[in-house]
Amino acid sequence: MSALRLISNRTSQQALSNSDYTWDYEYYEYGPVSFEGLKAHKYSIVIGFWVGLAVFVIFMFFVLTLLTKTGAPHQEFRMNSFVADFGRPLESERVFSHQMAEESQSLFHFCINEVDHMNKEKERQKGPSLESKTHFQEVPKSNGMFEEDLHCLAKFNIPNFVNTEQNS
Amino acid sequence: ENISGLSLNITDCTQVVVPEEVFFTVAAAGILENLLILIAVVRNKNLHLPMYFFICSLAISDMLGSLYKTLENIFIILCKMGYLTRHGDFEKKLDDAMDSMFILSLLGSIFSLLAIAADRYITIFYALRYHNIMTLRRALVILAIIWAFCAGSSIAIALFSYEAATVIPFTILFPLMMFFILCLYVHMFLLARSHAKKIASLPSSTIHHRTNMKGAITLTIFLGVFLCCWAPFVLHILLARFCPHNPYCACYMSIFHVNGTLIMCNAIINPMIFAFRSPELRSTFKMFYCSR
Repeated sequence: MSALRLISNRTSQQALSNSDYTWDYEYYEYGPVSFEGLKAHKYSIVIGFWVGLAVFVIFMFFVLTLLTKTGAPHQEFRMNSFVADFGRPLESERVFSHQMAEESQSLFHFCINEVDHMNKEKERQKGPSLESKTHFQEVPKSNGMFEEDLHCLAKFNIPNFVNTEQNS
Repeated sequence: ENISGLSLNITDCTQVVVPEEVFFTVAAAGILENLLILIAVVRNKNLHLPMYFFICSLAISDMLGSLYKTLENIFIILCKMGYLTRHGDFEKKLDDAMDSMFILSLLGSIFSLLAIAADRYITIFYALRYHNIMTLRRALVILAIIWAFCAGSSIAIALFSYEAATVIPFTILFPLMMFFILCLYVHMFLLARSHAKKIASLPSSTIHHRTNMKGAITLTIFLGVFLCCWAPFVLHILLARFCPHNPYCACYMSIFHVNGTLIMCNAIINPMIFAFRSPELRSTFKMFYCSR
């Protein structure tokens, strides 16, 4: 590192800082830039960046939809077994949506009991059942309408995420 | 370096100026919306849950971002009117403080999004133990650590913003976090989907398709909005550090104010895709602000 280079670094930094602290719309003009002899369009970085970003987002969307179609079977979920027992084919959504609402309430209470039972068995802490009860209580209050019966049952197991995601 | 006077060609990239009215409207809307969310969460006892605290953290960082832009605009106006000198020491310190506020907002946003994703991840994969893992106290401790780290880093970055050593980690952190959040959500998404499949034995596949499309759309919106609003600014920082005199880079840097407006738009959109998707929060809003 020669002293010359160090000085030139400092002066360029000073020049930068001088132009930086002018409170103006020319805030980021770092000095004269020659625009002669440009091979590509002058806004090529801007255009390239936005096109790249759009392509990336669309690509991400297609990857996600592909995942939904060929999604991998996943790890077992603890509440899976007894909730899956209640799944059954339904003929139409609208006819059964109200019925499902009532049914889901009873399923819901069943889930609560199961959760309490599991908690009491496995953990010896005070009041996890109470907490889980109050937490799961949130679910029916916030779900007024069950649009798709699929989600009714799914909602018990995934209190936070699926509810907030599906209820739009 | 070409220091032979300003070249006033017609082909010059002049600064793209966003009208001040647009700027102030967008900033004010962002601040107001996030403030309302904060007040709603604080006042409603039902919303004192870790999930809503993380959403509040996101609202605070959005508010800081919009506040920064508003203050900067006000100072520019004051300078134009002559109340503030342009090269003073006080102005330099003020500028540093505001830069650090802005970077604090960006880091706060990233970490809040990460916290929200992690909270949802724990909710799904450790649902039965969620209340023991994510207690209210732990959530507050996590938030305190996040904000302390962001404050420290933002001050360091603002003070040493000319060093490549700060710019590079900053710009690497951004895509790294995005990728990590994407992985978390994809994992959750896969489980939710396979779970829904196991529960319902519906013969028709259209419902599945709609459910999954909705999930894919939601995820894409989450991350796409954040990327589109913040990536232009991050690229600006990179270009400003590494090629300030290149004409192409200079043309990109001339749209700086548009990038700033995008960041404020993010402050407006974020509550819609995080806070307002929660029915509890929506009903709290209606209760407090609509039925008076």
